[in-house]
Amino acid sequence: MSIEVVDSTLFMSVEPVALAGSVCRVCNSHVFPSMGSCPTCSSVDVTKIALPTMGTIWSWTTQHFPPKAPFRTDEFAPFSIGYVDLGPVIVEGWLVGKTHWVIGESVRLTLAKAWTHEGSPVYTYGFEALER
Amino acid sequence: MSVKKDNSKDNIYVVGAARTEFGRFDGEDNDLAERGIRGALDDCGISWTDIQFAVGGTNGETKPDNLVSRLGLTGLPFVTVKNGCATGAVALMSARNGLIAEDLDIACVVGYDNHARGAFGASPARYGIGEWYGETGMMVTTSYFALKIQRYLFEHGISERTLGYASAKAFAYAQEHPYAWRRKPVSVAEAMDADMINDPLTRFMFCSPDAGAVSLILARGSRAFDLCETPIRLASVALRGRRPGSFEVFSPWLSPGDRTSPSIDAAKAAFNQAGITPADVQVAQLQDTDSGAEVIHLGETGLADHGDQEAAYRNGDFDIDGRLPVNTDGGLLANGEPVGASGLRQVHEIVRQLQGRADGMQVPGSPRIGFTHVYGAPGISACTVLINEGVQP
Repeated sequence: MSIEVVDSTLFMSVEPVALAGSVCRVCNSHVFPSMGSCPTCSSVDVTKIALPTMGTIWSWTTQHFPPKAPFRTDEFAPFSIGYVDLGPVIVEGWLVGKTHWVIGESVRLTLAKAWTHEGSPVYTYGFEALER
Repeated sequence: MSVKKDNSKDNIYVVGAARTEFGRFDGEDNDLAERGIRGALDDCGISWTDIQFAVGGTNGETKPDNLVSRLGLTGLPFVTVKNGCATGAVALMSARNGLIAEDLDIACVVGYDNHARGAFGASPARYGIGEWYGETGMMVTTSYFALKIQRYLFEHGISERTLGYASAKAFAYAQEHPYAWRRKPVSVAEAMDADMINDPLTRFMFCSPDAGAVSLILARGSRAFDLCETPIRLASVALRGRRPGSFEVFSPWLSPGDRTSPSIDAAKAAFNQAGITPADVQVAQLQDTDSGAEVIHLGETGLADHGDQEAAYRNGDFDIDGRLPVNTDGGLLANGEPVGASGLRQVHEIVRQLQGRADGMQVPGSPRIGFTHVYGAPGISACTVLINEGVQP
């Protein structure tokens, strides 16, 4: 049974999880999600690439009130969002497992349940703290 | 340092200015806009039939150029502008350019909006992002402001208390300003202890969408001195967009490495065009959509060195009798944000300060040089330099 995700174009693979970005063959800029052109140098010579799955917290915040539509959730609880430095690119995503973070903390890409649709969980990507 | 005194016929001056009280407005957008325009016309004693070029900006649904149906069908050229938070400044720039290019003398600029409570939802599609971004709760402007200031505080060793200083200052200024919206003073402790919205920003650290209109009358060359006792010269207006490396709202990714910003670029261009440096500025308006934005923009415009903000606030540098009063009408924090009007509200306040006619607290010592800065989605900034040439440098 396959894992259902919020948007399949975000992923290079789901098991194991890897995000799909794109890289420009001219200037090496990496972007996420993948696109058909390079916003840094305007080239269209770009290709889809799997992004690194480990990084460090570049910034974080915790969302204390429910966002407006089209936000979907089974039941709201405050959750964290952050920017994670993966090396070639800094990616925005959920930070899962706790609601207080430290810039520089090491994290790893994971899947997290976003909502339930017709009885089945739908997952998004997020980052979790490495076990100590 | 002396400012280049340029008596060229293309100098543009603000000769009239008016604003409405900002807050909730239970009427038509057009009523608000008309109120602003008639106030500005009265301020310099002219009528709509004297206006030769007009520019109107709003984020709402009305067509600003249709205001002619109630103001007078003079057949004048009326440009409309929709540039997000930069709308007011871009409208001003368009009016200046129109006067010069069309060889005209008098222009009217109006910016207005009437936002409902909780406005500013956005659809991911509008920003070229998939629906997942909104569905997973990442399409939230408050989280963007929080993420940005969180990183800035870390990079420059500034404490969260600085955000409280910015909030307290805004509401202290607003208490004395008859046209501001949120006029109840808030202490630093109250600001820090209030409900957290998005760490590290509490509910006293964000502006809210509301209603308001601002209108300016511009005159070109010697005409300005016929119309106004103390015309204020628009020494420069610069608009810039984002370059690679900037950190904008609704960005699923950022580039690693050096951060750029349209605010840095627009401020630099405005200072260069006016022939002055940040140290010459004596009163300023900076985009303060949240307390963190004011702190960041002090650094990005060069008005403060990155990291020095905390000590500067504590020292009273940005208070009415400090070295650089900032947002003396309470800024966006206390006036709220009618998107089309805010950039012009900033200019209105600076004009009043330089004329010695401030509606609220007056900057002492006859300030000569003022500066305004707006910034907004999807990554634009516009800055102006305003000079009272009647004051000796």
